[in-house]
Amino acid sequence: MDKFIKLALVLATLALGFAAAAPKQGGKLVYGRYADSLFLDPVLNDANVDIWILLNIYDTLLAPTLDGKGIKPNLAARYSLSRDGKTMTLVLRQGVKFSDGTPLTPQDVKFSLDRARDPNNGAWNSLLASIDSVGISGNNIVLTLKYPDPSLPAALATFNSAIMPQKQFMAMPGATDADKAKAFAEKPIGTGPFMLKEWKKGSSMTLVRNPYYWAKDENGIQLPYLDELRFEIVPDDNTRILKLQSGELDGAEFIPLSRVAELKANPNLNMVLFPSTEVDSVIMNNRPKLKDGSNNPLADQKVRQALNYATDKDAIIKIVTFGLAKPSKSYMSSSTPLYAPQNGYPYSLEKARALLKQAGYDKGFELSTMIVAGNADQTAIASALQQMWAPLGIKLRIDQFDAATNRAKYRANDFQMRVSKWTDDIADPSEITSYFAIYKNVESLHTGFQNKELEDLFDQSQREISEVKRAVLYQKIQKIYWDQAPILFLYEAPYPVALQKYVKGFVQIPLGNNIFVNTYLDK
Amino acid sequence: MNRWSYVLIRVLQVIPTFFVVMVLVFAAARLLPGDPLTAILGERATEEMVVKAKHELGLDQPLPVQFWIFLKDFFQGNLGDSINLKVPVTRLILERMPVTLFLTLYAAVLAAALAIPLAFVAALRKDTWADNLIRGVFQLGLSMPVFYIGLQLLTLLGARLRWFPVGGYGNTFGEHLYYLFLPALTLGFNLAAILMRNLRASILEVLQAEYVDFARAKGLRPSLILGKHVLRNALISTVTLFGLNIGGLIGGAVITETVFAIPGVGRLMVDSIFGRDYPVIQGLTLTFALLVSLVFILTDVIHAQLDPRVEAA
Repeated sequence: MDKFIKLALVLATLALGFAAAAPKQGGKLVYGRYADSLFLDPVLNDANVDIWILLNIYDTLLAPTLDGKGIKPNLAARYSLSRDGKTMTLVLRQGVKFSDGTPLTPQDVKFSLDRARDPNNGAWNSLLASIDSVGISGNNIVLTLKYPDPSLPAALATFNSAIMPQKQFMAMPGATDADKAKAFAEKPIGTGPFMLKEWKKGSSMTLVRNPYYWAKDENGIQLPYLDELRFEIVPDDNTRILKLQSGELDGAEFIPLSRVAELKANPNLNMVLFPSTEVDSVIMNNRPKLKDGSNNPLADQKVRQALNYATDKDAIIKIVTFGLAKPSKSYMSSSTPLYAPQNGYPYSLEKARALLKQAGYDKGFELSTMIVAGNADQTAIASALQQMWAPLGIKLRIDQFDAATNRAKYRANDFQMRVSKWTDDIADPSEITSYFAIYKNVESLHTGFQNKELEDLFDQSQREISEVKRAVLYQKIQKIYWDQAPILFLYEAPYPVALQKYVKGFVQIPLGNNIFVNTYLDK
Repeated sequence: MNRWSYVLIRVLQVIPTFFVVMVLVFAAARLLPGDPLTAILGERATEEMVVKAKHELGLDQPLPVQFWIFLKDFFQGNLGDSINLKVPVTRLILERMPVTLFLTLYAAVLAAALAIPLAFVAALRKDTWADNLIRGVFQLGLSMPVFYIGLQLLTLLGARLRWFPVGGYGNTFGEHLYYLFLPALTLGFNLAAILMRNLRASILEVLQAEYVDFARAKGLRPSLILGKHVLRNALISTVTLFGLNIGGLIGGAVITETVFAIPGVGRLMVDSIFGRDYPVIQGLTLTFALLVSLVFILTDVIHAQLDPRVEAA
């Protein structure tokens, strides 16, 4: 036995040694994306296609750790918080330059943060709402806060607070910030590992190494390793996989889960399932009356719980994700900080029946759900629910609309149920909670759900600097939400990325950001 | 009436058509449920944000006012900025239209190159194995959806045999020809099938005509009879058919461009409709309308060239 353990240890050391063989500098990587970016401005963008690659060009003061659960220094070498939690001091890293060679100054940081927190700018300024003023003291950035804000470090690690060069931005043509941003985003300048060389919108985007990038790896080798990173836009899933198989791509994102097993068996490819913050659920309208005036059984908590019991999540995971997802244990993903898994809603038609009887719905009733027309996953989910709920006398109608119509009806609260997908943008539980559970933002994902106790706990958690106490608050919040069941909890799914075997060091973090700074080609 | 005034009249007829298209496309884009803001701002936008963004884009103005601005800008050569891509629509169209034109033209040329000789073979060898084979293959092509043919070609000739790249567009003219061969073939195949069937039937009909018998009786060489008398007359209806189907080719380009990852206007059109990007939808539809009108004019002119009776009518 001892010998066996020793042998195992030796083998493990060898394997680690090989895995950790020094990364090689140089080379070009071609990565297939399903859609092109739209607008490379950190503050005014709205879409994941931008958010998920922005941080290859720009840097933030802090950065999320690769597991998505923590925060690490980035442009700020370190930071500290005053005892009352109302002043944060960040020490700026020395000698950092933008990709055009100009040095990064504290003034650039102040400009960028002020722009990012301006309530007139974009969709993300509320992440920095606690900042009262941004001050400069020598090489330090001093944030004076209106109130203690536990999510601020995460917010400073989020794309919208990326640092831009003030002079170059202000020199852009245009009268307004939005006009200047349009011009600047055509040829963005940041301190990130890469810089934009060429962008053929809708076709390809070429990034090249930023010669002034500040970071080196643990062996002192200058990062990034790659000379060039080209994104090819290949919207069709089958074509993207074919291009990978023919060697025209070195990597490809959004592999359909139905193809994962096949690509795993391909000896030339490394089929990776990166942990994500994606949660898939069915949003329920919790209001007593629907938009058309009809009665809504989903207003009754017992009915919502019954539907959660009547849903065989494992079966849905098998049908829709080919067994590659995990059943949800909270409204947030297990990759979200302060996630607290809940027990309950094991598949049980008896429990569902009993609850429906208590609610007076044992004779059955009709429900409807919206899905996006042509979306195979949503169709599969809705059809599975139709069959699973039929024994309870529930008739589920499936309404298909194109994405924009679906969204417009949803925003007008004109729906009964809706299949939905969410990913976090910030490494903190407050974002998802404020959308899923708090009424004032978007009426709790337009469910109409409102719970006083939960909202009080959330308010406390937003001022609670102690991580331990905040975690306790989040346990309570997640328990209440789980019991109230304003949504049908389904599953959390990974990010499926296929890479050629020689591509090493690429990570898509749980927030979805594609991190290429440590990527190298081992061939 | 001489030839040029005929052309001029056809061109002038396009103007009212064009105005109707402008009204229709403006209204149609806005009749779609949803709006660009719910499409781009996504699920997380609060009502305030939507209202603010609508105001910035002028989408809170009454529709007649918006239409007036659209008209005014149009006559100044300005199609507005894309709401989603934040760049001028004219730039997008100028960047992408050549790609789609190249593809459709290439497809049309391939279709003609396939259809004309094969139609002759099929017609002259009527009811032999060659005729049946040609007609059978094209029948099969007609009954398969474009994307399916495309994927099969890609899998076999691209990924498996690696004769052709899997999608993309290339950088030089030579590369365009190489990269776009499979997509053009995919796109052109249906058209080739339609043309082949029509041309074969016309050739058979013309071969029965008295003037062909007469030419034969005069002792003209068979190649001259086929080229000068048969082809020219058989082509008349085929050219019209060809012109009418070019519009269809542009429609087919939407699917082909997606399957083959070609950055043309087809894909831009689909994205802009899903994103409710009104300025792009308008700009592209107008450009398509202009192109199709031009093709129709060209068709009429060629038709008139082949059949002098047309101008007099």
